[in-house]
Amino acid sequence: MKTPSSATINTLAALGLALAATLVVLFFAGAPPLTTLAVLFGGGLDSTASLLKTFSSFIPLFLCATALLATYAAGLWNIGVEGQITLGAVCAAGFLRLPDPATFPPALALALALGAAFAGGALWALLAGALRVYGRVHEIFSGLGLNFAATGVTLWLILGPWKRSGMASLSGTEPLPEAFRLPGFAGKPASMVGVALAVAAFGLVVWGLTRTTWGLKLAAVRQNLKAARLIGLSPRRRLLEAMGLCGGLAGLAGGLLVTGLYHRLIPSISGNFGYTAILAVLMVSLVPAFVPVACFFFAVLLAGAVQLPMALELDSSLSGVIQGVLVLAFLAAGRMGIGGRLTGDRT
Amino acid sequence: MDVFLSHITKRYGRILANDGVDVALKPGRIHGLLGENGAGKSTLMRVLAGHVMCDDGFIEVDGTRHAGLTPTGAMDLGIGMLSQDPLDFPPLAAWENFTLGGRPRTRRQARDRLAELSAGLGFSLRPDDPVERFTVAERQQLELTRLMDANVRLLILDEPTTGISPEQKDILFRILREFAADQGRIVILVTHKLAEAQELCHEVLVMRRGRMAGRFESPYDAGLLLETMFGPQAAQAAEEPEIAGLAARKAVGVCASAQASDRAGGGPPLAELAEVSFSDEKSALPPVSLTLRPGEVVGVAGVAGGGQELFLRGLTGLARVRGGRFLLGGQDMRGQGVTGLSRAGVHFLPASRMEEGLFPGLSLADHARLGFPAEKGDIRDLFVRRFVERFHVPNQPAAPAASLSGGNQQRLLLSLIPDNTRLLVAESPTRGLDVASCAQVWEHLHALAAQGTAVVFSSEDLDEILARSGRILVFYNRRLAADAPAAGLTVRDLGRHMTGRTAAGAPQSAAWACNRKS
Amino acid sequence: MDVFAATLAAVLFAGAPLALAALGETLSERAGVINLSVDGTVLFSAMAAFVAARVTGDAWLGMLGGALAGACVAGVLALVGLGLRAPILAVGFILTLLCRDLAYFLGHAHARQPGPELGVWTIPVLSDIPFLGTVIGRQSPVVYVSIVAAAAASFFLYRTRAGLRLRAAGESPRAAFARGIPVERLKVLYCLAGGAFSGLAGAAYSLGVKPGWGHPQGAEGAGWIALAIVIFGGWRPSRVVLGAYFFALIQVMGIHLQDSLPGLSSTLFQIAPFPVMILTLLFINIRRSGRFRDAVQNVPLLGRLAGKPPAGAPGALAGVLDQDAA
Repeated sequence: MKTPSSATINTLAALGLALAATLVVLFFAGAPPLTTLAVLFGGGLDSTASLLKTFSSFIPLFLCATALLATYAAGLWNIGVEGQITLGAVCAAGFLRLPDPATFPPALALALALGAAFAGGALWALLAGALRVYGRVHEIFSGLGLNFAATGVTLWLILGPWKRSGMASLSGTEPLPEAFRLPGFAGKPASMVGVALAVAAFGLVVWGLTRTTWGLKLAAVRQNLKAARLIGLSPRRRLLEAMGLCGGLAGLAGGLLVTGLYHRLIPSISGNFGYTAILAVLMVSLVPAFVPVACFFFAVLLAGAVQLPMALELDSSLSGVIQGVLVLAFLAAGRMGIGGRLTGDRT
Repeated sequence: MDVFLSHITKRYGRILANDGVDVALKPGRIHGLLGENGAGKSTLMRVLAGHVMCDDGFIEVDGTRHAGLTPTGAMDLGIGMLSQDPLDFPPLAAWENFTLGGRPRTRRQARDRLAELSAGLGFSLRPDDPVERFTVAERQQLELTRLMDANVRLLILDEPTTGISPEQKDILFRILREFAADQGRIVILVTHKLAEAQELCHEVLVMRRGRMAGRFESPYDAGLLLETMFGPQAAQAAEEPEIAGLAARKAVGVCASAQASDRAGGGPPLAELAEVSFSDEKSALPPVSLTLRPGEVVGVAGVAGGGQELFLRGLTGLARVRGGRFLLGGQDMRGQGVTGLSRAGVHFLPASRMEEGLFPGLSLADHARLGFPAEKGDIRDLFVRRFVERFHVPNQPAAPAASLSGGNQQRLLLSLIPDNTRLLVAESPTRGLDVASCAQVWEHLHALAAQGTAVVFSSEDLDEILARSGRILVFYNRRLAADAPAAGLTVRDLGRHMTGRTAAGAPQSAAWACNRKS
Repeated sequence: MDVFAATLAAVLFAGAPLALAALGETLSERAGVINLSVDGTVLFSAMAAFVAARVTGDAWLGMLGGALAGACVAGVLALVGLGLRAPILAVGFILTLLCRDLAYFLGHAHARQPGPELGVWTIPVLSDIPFLGTVIGRQSPVVYVSIVAAAAASFFLYRTRAGLRLRAAGESPRAAFARGIPVERLKVLYCLAGGAFSGLAGAAYSLGVKPGWGHPQGAEGAGWIALAIVIFGGWRPSRVVLGAYFFALIQVMGIHLQDSLPGLSSTLFQIAPFPVMILTLLFINIRRSGRFRDAVQNVPLLGRLAGKPPAGAPGALAGVLDQDAA
């Protein structure tokens, strides 16, 4: 039998640690461990309907995780990705208020809406980027501040200028006309367009980061900003480019959420996809190849967690707990070098 | 106090910094620890002072063996070290620096004790000022005072004379002599300067490549010392006189500034500064006016903190230009940052090579690609051609920059200098380098100057400045104190400018050089 | 006048948890440990304190529970970030998300339930003085706790030997090591202390300032503001506390204006502190920039108006949250 590699052992150790920690949490909550885990993991996989629901979480997660690979490559902590998703959604929803659904070609409208979403997210990210590059404000703070600002903007729009005719409701704006909705799949709001965009974006970003000089420049800026300046790599421009790209893709995810899933603008439309994407990317230590797997895994958890309140009277934030525990476990296992010690592999 | 170091071994990765070193230290004596950069002197002292644990061997103090010391343990035994980089706390006040790590004292007690001890040593230190406002010499004095308070009996000084003026060095040496004579204490002076060892030390220990290479009693044979330090190619050392020191130069009969580039070309000036004031977060220089010619080699000297660092960084755009006119090749450079000046042909070699100049995790080939983005085609060709053949960068294109030694880091930095560089600003280009690397660096810098590039460099080694420059600028107290051709200047002259006294009277270098321990 | 006094009292009240969290993080960062989990810790401890108070029936035991919960979270950070040397920003951020979700998950059963509160203390003589009485004579105990904490932290840092050692360890870990100061041990100690303070802040919310537990709780984002306040206050306890009251003032004014300008959405006031946070950080950086220094040269009045340049980060933190110019 082939000895498993140290990486595999690390992964197994991490999963074991995470499982143990989860069981402890479940114990404290007084929740039945096996049933809870079954609902959590099965809930996203047990039927076609739930699989499609998993997919509709997977698409925005995957897009955002791809986006974050760009900013992490440049050494940026783009916590503001949540707000970028939101602004993308706002721009898409806003754009679609303009054309007449009866006469305007729907495909064009949707394409332009998604373009607006990309632009909106990119601009929001560039705002944080400019604060960092010209104002030396760390992007963690500007990102967070802009996240809250984006939430505020959304709420104001939903309860104000864009409110539903009749009464303002926290359930969102007026739903989009049929023509302006992304075609679903098997009757469910999971769009092939979204999948295609996400996969294309992933391929593009990974190629850009690993095979182009631009990607090398980003890596250099991340490693040593001062040296990058001295060698003529224009670190300011690189940082802004990375932020713009990341924000654009995140905004695109927001646009897909509006046009493909919710079909209207709702409060908290970003739904923590941004933060979850950060966790996914951290869990796989920024290795691009594993990003889709991590995103899918987290999407399964998200879909399953939604059923927890109904099935077991537990709060759905359990999925977030498990995600956090998992990432920590992977970080810890990696640092402890368990795999290395067991296999004698010193790399 | 009797101290023995027995078979001390210390490894850093693949490098054997100390290889089975045995040393016997005798009470009442000043020991010199000589060796070129990289010989292992600092490592050995860090082991002795408890900053670093050795991999093998032990230290015996007054009959008791210690397999490894901690800083506290060493202090308890009476071993204290004055490190090369001041290990103090810049924003904290002098009295706070004094009392940290020592016995518990109230603020008043600490201030009183500091005043008492420092006065006894002949220092005057302001107790409430933050140490960051002190000069290097004052910081050293504070450290010494603190070590005296802790009743140090074995005092190690690691390259204490870099960054202080010759007069301050004399004061230090006097104190060391008195210290050693008092109750059989021990002093170890780590230096790469032969002249200092000859002047001060009762005996000299020479290290080479991690081993103890020889032990000599005063009076010393300079040639033999050089040979032990550098190996049989002592003749090579004679060519690099700034490494061996002024006295050694005299000993081997080489005269000063043989290679200074007087080729400051005619024609239009390269750069003109008219009442230009450079400033950064901490300080600002008053307006400076000078002209740089193509092909000039200008050495910039000054006590650490004297302003020369700010001046160099201002030339490259890293510090702000406030006021005045800064012309480069006729174009106004005010308001241009690093990018603008870089495009105009200014290039900077930082002293902290890895922290400011290179990318530790990227490979050498990656550096090549980043440094020469216009080159299409296989990067390996470019790498071999420009980096390996021209500058002797190790031919390992996939190796990360972090794996390079100091000398190779500097070679890499040199290879990255763009072709269109008209003004090269180099901070301490040979700091920490061994003799062979030093020579190669200067070979290249002189070649650049011959092609018309102006080279402005700073160095803490006055001998290097005298030997290599055609023109010298001296900064004192954040002002340009002197701007003169190098020919005819001596170390004493420089020292006077560096401490604010203009050169007057005949240079006393000859007398100083002859002042050996007899 | 009464309105002024009432406003001041409200500011002290709303600012107490912010001050506590920011003070704790100041100590932690002085040792060289940046704890990005403050926000999650505050929420988690709010839940823990509320549950502890409900279970024991005693609000003060709840406070203790909150502090312990905060220290535990900081303990995880110390274990993974310091002990295992995983990147500390990453661990802190993960923990903040984890703790927030953990708080909502474990607190589910106690949501919107009644529970003990800390009430109000009336200081005997002080409460009768006209103006001061309103401001400080009759306040929730959390206000007094925060004021005592601020004074204690300031005194500790600048007038005690242990405080000097802490400052030294954060300024220059290498030099501190050479003096025999146990830098790593101090990092863990002050990381835990910081967590305990954040825990107290959370407890102050759920047992005092915003009593009870819910989803959302109302203290969301406070921890991030606390982190910004530490920078804003230049890592000095006295200024940090003033910064906390400044942000509390914004929140309080928001509530007042909401009454008089009902057209504007309430969310605007809830989020107002965050753009202000960005602006304050921006202001600090401008104050330290070259252009401003040049401007001060030409117009000295500007320098006097803007005050002394804010203190830089402790040496160990240089360049981490305080970004170098690109």
